[in-house]
Amino acid sequence: MNGARWLRVMVGIGVGAIAGVALYLFAQEWVLALVVGAIVADVVYALLARWQTGDWAPLRFAAGLVVFAAVALGGIALVGDFGEASDVDPDTFINAKAANTWALILTVAMVAGAIVYFGLELLQTGRLASLASQFTTRTYLLMVIGIAVNIILGQTVAAALKIPIYLDSIGTILVGILAGPIAGALTGGLANVLWSYVIPPPFQYQPAAAFAITAVAIGVIAGLLGRAGFLRPRPDRSTGELLIGGLVTVVLVGAMAAAAVIGYQYIFETDVSLLPSTEGVEWYFVALAWLALALVVGAILGLFALLLLRRDLTAAYVVVAGVFTGVIAALISAPIAAGVFGGVTSSGTDFLVAAFRQAGLDVQAATTGQGLISDPIDKVTTFFTVYLILQAMANRFKARFPQGEQVLPVDEGAGA
Amino acid sequence: MPAFIGTPGPSAFHRLNPVTKLVLALVTTLLAIVVGGVIGPVLVAAVAVLLPAAAARILGRLLHTSLVLSLPIAISVLVVNLFFYPAGVDVLLQLGPIRATAEGLAFAIETLARIGAISGAITLFYLTTPSGELVTDLERRGVAPRIAFVTHASVQTVPAMVERAAAIIEAQRARGLDTEGGILRRARGVLPLAGPMLLGSIAEIEERTQALEARGFSRPGRRTLLWEPADSGRQRALRWALLLTVPLLIGLRAGGWLGWLG
Amino acid sequence: MLTLETVTYRYAGAPRPSLFDVSVDLRGGEVVGLAGPSEAGKTTLCLVASGLAPRTVGGTISGRLLLDGEDVSARPMHELVGRVGIAFASPATQLTGVAGTVYEEVAFGPMNLGLPRSEVLERTGEALAALRIEHLAARDPVRLSGGQQQLVAIAGLLALRPAHLVLDEPTAQLDPAGSRMVARALTDLAASGAGILVAEQKTDLLASVCHRVLVVHEGRLVFDGPAVEVLHDTRMHELGVAAPSAARLARAAADRRLSGAVRERLSVAIAADASRGGEAASAGGRA
Repeated sequence: MNGARWLRVMVGIGVGAIAGVALYLFAQEWVLALVVGAIVADVVYALLARWQTGDWAPLRFAAGLVVFAAVALGGIALVGDFGEASDVDPDTFINAKAANTWALILTVAMVAGAIVYFGLELLQTGRLASLASQFTTRTYLLMVIGIAVNIILGQTVAAALKIPIYLDSIGTILVGILAGPIAGALTGGLANVLWSYVIPPPFQYQPAAAFAITAVAIGVIAGLLGRAGFLRPRPDRSTGELLIGGLVTVVLVGAMAAAAVIGYQYIFETDVSLLPSTEGVEWYFVALAWLALALVVGAILGLFALLLLRRDLTAAYVVVAGVFTGVIAALISAPIAAGVFGGVTSSGTDFLVAAFRQAGLDVQAATTGQGLISDPIDKVTTFFTVYLILQAMANRFKARFPQGEQVLPVDEGAGA
Repeated sequence: MPAFIGTPGPSAFHRLNPVTKLVLALVTTLLAIVVGGVIGPVLVAAVAVLLPAAAARILGRLLHTSLVLSLPIAISVLVVNLFFYPAGVDVLLQLGPIRATAEGLAFAIETLARIGAISGAITLFYLTTPSGELVTDLERRGVAPRIAFVTHASVQTVPAMVERAAAIIEAQRARGLDTEGGILRRARGVLPLAGPMLLGSIAEIEERTQALEARGFSRPGRRTLLWEPADSGRQRALRWALLLTVPLLIGLRAGGWLGWLG
Repeated sequence: MLTLETVTYRYAGAPRPSLFDVSVDLRGGEVVGLAGPSEAGKTTLCLVASGLAPRTVGGTISGRLLLDGEDVSARPMHELVGRVGIAFASPATQLTGVAGTVYEEVAFGPMNLGLPRSEVLERTGEALAALRIEHLAARDPVRLSGGQQQLVAIAGLLALRPAHLVLDEPTAQLDPAGSRMVARALTDLAASGAGILVAEQKTDLLASVCHRVLVVHEGRLVFDGPAVEVLHDTRMHELGVAAPSAARLARAAADRRLSGAVRERLSVAIAADASRGGEAASAGGRA
């Protein structure tokens, strides 16, 4: 990133933080403050970009983001009693209305944001270059591989290895990074739908289609992170840079985890806890919970070790990307899992759900707790795997993909 | 046109337009969720899954496949809910600290009925619709040819990749790779193969891109189809009727007239 | 007629061009061979001649590609496929992966062009007949032999009715039987009027089908002449091009000072054997 871009990012974050804190002090609403702060940061960045470089695209994106957030928040406010007792079946604790409504609100918000973004582009330039450029013949062929890998690996993990991760998004994220957000979204969505309805046994996994919306969101996020150069190799950095990177990562990960838990409690007005109260719970369930947490910490530490070994700062970016994507995916999937499947999807995550249920949490909270542990681990592993795959591909072939330039190492003199 | 292009299915149900069959599967899934209780999904399954399967003479195959597919999830649902149901009070069985409750059992059965109906609906669709047929029909209706291509190619690539992996494993076995042993050991053995196989597939993308481009793949607009699955006005009406049953039953449920389905 | 006019081409991100000032003429009905060691630029030349470079693979080009006199630099790839087709070394990666039968595989190109269905059927039938593979029409392309798959790939190109065909080492992954199939197909196609450019390491193949041979060395064209002359030239060895077996046997016979009559009978036997499509190996038994 060159100096001007760093400036824009810093100013954007600064102004966004001020706006967020101000809103919190004024309205005492955590989630609102966070979301508004992020939006303000992006708008400021986009305005600076337009002023400095004359590029309209970041502003169009900011507009789409604003619409997305407005529709999502508006939808939540409109529905109001998301998790109220009146809609929760007292025998099953399932709030099917919450599950379906949540997915519906998110879908509508994403579509609205996309319409605004592409609509603006069409009006301003008369074409949809940002959409068309993502879809070259090369992209389509990569999508085929991506979908196949999603299904094969996902099925192997779900059916044969009862471990609490999914590994069904490697293809989605690979396509997102190399080709773009919409290509990634399409890969994820198509893969899940095909996995349920069209792929023959033994590879068929019928619950998959219900989570198509999660896969779409993952694809979009991966595409945007790829465009921002998150997975660009940054080898041979100084120890100081590496330590700062490590510190920033820990802070961000902690903040995201906290925001996820608090935000979820706020929206659904239920209690979700990563660490359920251990009173009255059998000792082995407590041990299970601690084991799960140890896995999370272990994965992050493992990546830090790699960071120090190869002196590649991108490992920090991988962790942040993975946790961010994982948290979003968990928040989207949990109500769906709870509402449609009672929290059980026959994968290895079930025992975690059982552990939380035993601790007295309702189904929704249980699946969210499970998700908030499994998903970040899964996505960090996935982003890491994608990074390794990218390392193994020849530079001249990566460059031919629409976002291929953003995964090539920068020549010396250009900074992070 | 050669005879082997676009052969029609063996029964009237097979010969339905693939979108009709898809709508049936989707509507059945939604209805199984909307209509709660235990009897509800069973009734839905009887009408929308078992009856057509019998008419298509694949009832046996459908039951077998559907059961095999839903077995893992059924076991999980049963175990998790039987023993870990929070609102469970009426204890049936006590195995040390783990309690099986009647409420848990009831909930499990309800979930199983729903999952069974959904599984049956999806299996019926997949057993009566070759993948090429659905993709071709979607393309005829306006889905972008290149998206249709991706769908079709992905469905072919999954078994192809697995065959390739199996071939590699066979070769490795001849060189002494341990393929016996538990799932975990085998998975560990497969993992080092997964990398090179995946990278090999990715490396092929460049050549495949060139080959496809040399056949005019990137030409914008629609392409000619060699054959098309038949459709009719009656099927169109049927699809609409099916779709309308969903809001109808949601309304009935909200109005409380479905309580007898328990 | 296909013409490359002083083309210099550099791949994206490469420090040096892969082709320098290359000029080639390809006329209908002639088979032109392209020889040279690996990494000399044969593949790059094929990609440029077919239009894939720079359209699909990126890179920068100076000089022009002319088809029947027209400068096609501004035309997108899908407008060129009906005028020049390109086949590659690996039979399996040229399969589309979405065709259940050879028929659908061959029809893929015309289908993409949006031609009326009757024309698609007509062209597919013609292409299968031209390569004499009608009997494979109902087969699954994935289950064919390498040679058969290569013929299917070429048929798929023929269905687009290009006036020129470029083939980049089409027999590289084939056994001798497969190579013979392809060689015969090329001869038939040239006879029906197509201009064919075929790059090969197997100089025996080039010797048996080509009228003219070009030699590429480090990105430049260093030889352009009649096949027999170029391939038997003693300088080929320094350029990394193996001489055809016939030439090597003739030289070996000369080195051992076999009598003129014996050498004469040797040459006749080799020529007869080569024209039967086999490889000249059993000369010893006939001497």
